Formats: sequence, structure tokens, C-alpha cells
Amino acid sequence: MTKDLFKFSGHPEFENPSLIVGWSEDVGKLGPKVIEYLNRKIKSKSFCEIEPGGIFPLSGVAIENNVAQFPVSKFYYSKKNNLVVFDGTESQFEKYRFLNAILDVAQHHCKVKELFTISGTVSPIAHTEPRKILTVFNQETLQKRLRGCGLEDMDWEGTPAISTYLLWAAGKRGIPGASLWPQIPFYLAAGKDFQAVKLILSFLDKRFDLDLDLKELDEKISEQNTKIARLREEDSQINRYIGTLESGLSLSEDEQMELMEQVTELLEESS
Amino acid sequence: MAVKLYKKPELRNSVMLCGWPGIGNIGIIAIDTLRTLLKAEQFGWIEPWDFFDPRKVIIEGGLLKDLEFPINKFYFQRTVNQDLIFFVGQQQPTEGRARYAEGQKAYRIANLVLDVAEKFGCRRVYTSGAAVTQIHHALKPRVWAVPNRAKLIDEVKGYENTVLMSGIEGRGSQGIITGLNGLLLGVAKKRGIEAVCLMGEIPYYLQGVPWPYPKASKSVLEVLAKILGIELELSQLDELAERIDKSVEEFLETLYSAEGIPSQVKDEIEKLRYVRQTELGPITEEEQKKIMEHIDELFKGRDKDDERPV
Repeated sequence: MTKDLFKFSGHPEFENPSLIVGWSEDVGKLGPKVIEYLNRKIKSKSFCEIEPGGIFPLSGVAIENNVAQFPVSKFYYSKKNNLVVFDGTESQFEKYRFLNAILDVAQHHCKVKELFTISGTVSPIAHTEPRKILTVFNQETLQKRLRGCGLEDMDWEGTPAISTYLLWAAGKRGIPGASLWPQIPFYLAAGKDFQAVKLILSFLDKRFDLDLDLKELDEKISEQNTKIARLREEDSQINRYIGTLESGLSLSEDEQMELMEQVTELLEESS
Repeated sequence: MAVKLYKKPELRNSVMLCGWPGIGNIGIIAIDTLRTLLKAEQFGWIEPWDFFDPRKVIIEGGLLKDLEFPINKFYFQRTVNQDLIFFVGQQQPTEGRARYAEGQKAYRIANLVLDVAEKFGCRRVYTSGAAVTQIHHALKPRVWAVPNRAKLIDEVKGYENTVLMSGIEGRGSQGIITGLNGLLLGVAKKRGIEAVCLMGEIPYYLQGVPWPYPKASKSVLEVLAKILGIELELSQLDELAERIDKSVEEFLETLYSAEGIPSQVKDEIEKLRYVRQTELGPITEEEQKKIMEHIDELFKGRDKDDERPV
């Protein structure tokens, strides 16, 4: 473990906690919203940061929504719930080094017993449909243990995302883990999908007995659904598009684009 | 970060041959064809995760089955005159957004490859790549040869269809070899290992085209066959070269008819069919730029992967 890569601000005593990992850039703002809500509700405290030098290019700062951004790589701990939470910006260059830095802290410092990563997956479904949490495990034992918890096994071949890469690297070290991929309707991908946020938080709530109060999210879901319902009333085309998805049919590329633009604009305006 | 060897073959009078992707994949096609023809046996690899990002994940029934990385393997084969070690890499290690190897990772991998060369007492290392030049695709490409020691120049001069940098018009014995080909040559020099880079000529108008250029790989292989004293049956490479030639002809027709490409560009390229660049009026930098921009435009989006990763 390279010491100058880490900055510790606290030394809590860990009792083989579980690790939850979310990324600051995610579809439907899933990762940031889950991590922010979770950290706030379980009152976790930051104890360690991964220094960005050598992992992020640091050739300047990115500007998003008029605000300069900077990579985040912070660990939080809630003793009461025995949970470590990692809030991170995805590294574009030294990915393996970055992921091993996360796992070094998790394994050697926190002695975590398992990890869960959180990322959204864009799906061609309507927002009114029930979402699934598609899941990938790095070992069968954990998969069996979590049968009946509302997780759906995933089948997929293609480019690996950072969560999958982390899951693989954890597996290489013998740390059991799962990547949770709740479905995000494609037209909510650019905005916030509170339904998916609630879905993941509900899973974590049950899994770790967190006793989370999810009322805030219920209100946001209801507010968002009302806005989209109003748009459907006002715009028959949009109503037809969503209705098509609700019937399990697919839309053309142009129709998808139009639906996405209209909903994103609506939700951006009202936020 | 490590080299993993599954076998430790006893090798005598050994030579190492290295190939990896680059312009026209000239080097890797040459080295990998030789490896295949000689039925070389795999005996090790370089663990890829410190150098490369994974390319593909395989998830079945909710279980992460495999994460595939670009592979860099070592092979060996014994021949009458010498034993051969092959190093074949699927990708050059890069840093940031660079296309070809550069930086610390490239330096580390070059040293790992040479560690293996030294471990098995290799007396010489050959690398292979592309030489971008004004040549027509209908002509037989020459091989530019760059040794890492002056004492090898006389030997290299004796290779058929091969030129030293001093033999290329306008180069004045100078040049740059980018990527792992160049770096390996330099690191070998630093470590006192003899090395020669053999670069097959590729027309400048094909350097941005995402096709292999087997005609140049064949030229490299012919030189290597002479050096190593082996006979090679290269008809498969000829067939591939023929198919590529047809695609190149079609591609040039599209290029000539493109807006913004001056008509004299066609004349200049067509003149190359009969003469080498020394007898030509030069194509201006502006014209070359236009051609390359248009080639980029033609192939833009072909490798685009719209899938969101999981």
C-alpha cells in the first residue's frame, strides 16, 4: 500500500464492514444520489481520501453546469451500521492503479467482508414500469446468499464498466462482491431517476438493516411522475411514445431522441 | 506487474522477434505469420492489467466469468541455425490519449521484454513496423532497416530490398521511430543488446486507413527469412495482399472524387505507380493534410461503440 497515495483524516475501528461504492458520474444521477442520501441518513464520516496525483490527469478542471469540478475519491464510515461508503470519480487513465488503491484501503485498512458497486444501466422501458436490479457477482457463494432479495442475474458480453472492473479486481483478491445495475428508463438517463435511487436504497436498507427513511424520495418520485403525466396530457406524441414502451414495444431512434429531449427539458426546467 | 513463464526451454544461439499493432499492422502481421508458420510454442506472457484496460467482460447467469485484456505472449521455436523467441503483443501500452507506446508504461514493458531476451541469452532482437513514405500501393515495398549499433550497418547493407536511413532521399540518415519499435531499440542499446528494426514501406495515403498492409509485411518477412536462413511459404499473405489491393483501388476512387481534393493529387498518386518519390514533384503539405483529413472523414465512426459498458 503506497502511503502517499492516501490521506487519512481519521482512524475508526472497523468490524469487517461491507463496502458500498458509487461513482460521481452515473446515468440518472444514480450513484451520486444514492451515496449522498445514504451518507446523510446513516451519518457516516469521512476518514480517508485517495490523492488524485498519478491517477487523474490534473491538466486542469472540468466545468459542469457552470461549476468547476475536481475528482473525488473519499471513504466514509458509519460505525453504527458497520458500513464503509466510497464516493469516487471514475479515473480515465490509471484505472487499475486507482481500483487497487480503493481495494487496498478496503482490504488492508478496513478489512471489508464484501463489496457492492452501484451504477445505472440505461433500458428501453417506461418510467411507470417496475424496475429490475440487474446484478453481477464475482463468486457463487454471495450469489446464492442473496437469492430472494429481488436481484436479477445478468447475462452480458461487451466493454467492461468501472464497476465491473472493480468487481473483477476484488474477486482477484478474494473479496466477494456484487455490482448492482438498476434499470434506468433511457429518457431519465440525462436527469435524475429517483425511482431507481429508491430501489437501490431499499435493497441496502433491507440488506443492512439501516432503517432508512425514504419519504423524501417518495415525494420526489411523485413530483416527477406528476410532471411527466402532465406532459403526456399536453403532448399526444409523447403520450404515444410512453404508451408504446408501456406495451412492451420499441421506439424508433428519432422517437427515442424526441422523448428524451422533451422529458429532459421538462425536468431540467422544473428543477 | 510480472512476466509469467510456464516453461523454461533451453535455447541456444537465440534471437528474439517482436511484433505489435501499428500502422497497417505491418510488424505484427510479419512476426505473427512467422510464428504461425514455424509453429512456435507459447511459453509465457506479461500480466496485462498494469499496462492495459480490459477490452471485454463476459457475464453469464449473473456471474462474472472473465475479463479480457490485450494479451502479450512469448513463444519459442528451434530452427536449424538458431532458436527463436517471439514476443507478440495485441496492443502497445500508452499513457493518456497517445496512439502508440510512450511514457513510463512503455518503458517498463520494453524492459520486461528485454528481461526475457537476456534470460534466454538472445544475441539479437528484431522489431518490425511501418515506414510511411511516397510509394504507390502497386509497387513492392522496400524495408527500411535501423540497427542500434554502428557495427551492424555493414551487415544490414547486405540485406536484399533493404535501405538504411541514409539511402532514403531527403532523410540525411535521420529519422524517428515512434512507439514500442523505437523504444525497444533504444532500451536494448542501453542494455547492450544488439537490435534491428525492420520497417515495411506503406503509401502515405494509406497510413490512416484501418486495414492491414500485408504487402509490406511480406517484404519484411522475406528479409527476415534470409537473415534467419529459413524458407517460408507466403501464399496466404499474397492472397490477403491481393484482396487489400482491390479495396485500396476502390478507396482511391472515392478519395479522388471527394470535394476539396485537388485533381493533381490523383496525378501525383498515379505517378507513384511508375516511379519512386525521388523523381516526383512533391505533394504539398497542404495537399497531404487535405488527403488525411478526408481519409479520417471516410472512416470516422466505423469503430464507434454506442453500447454503454456494464
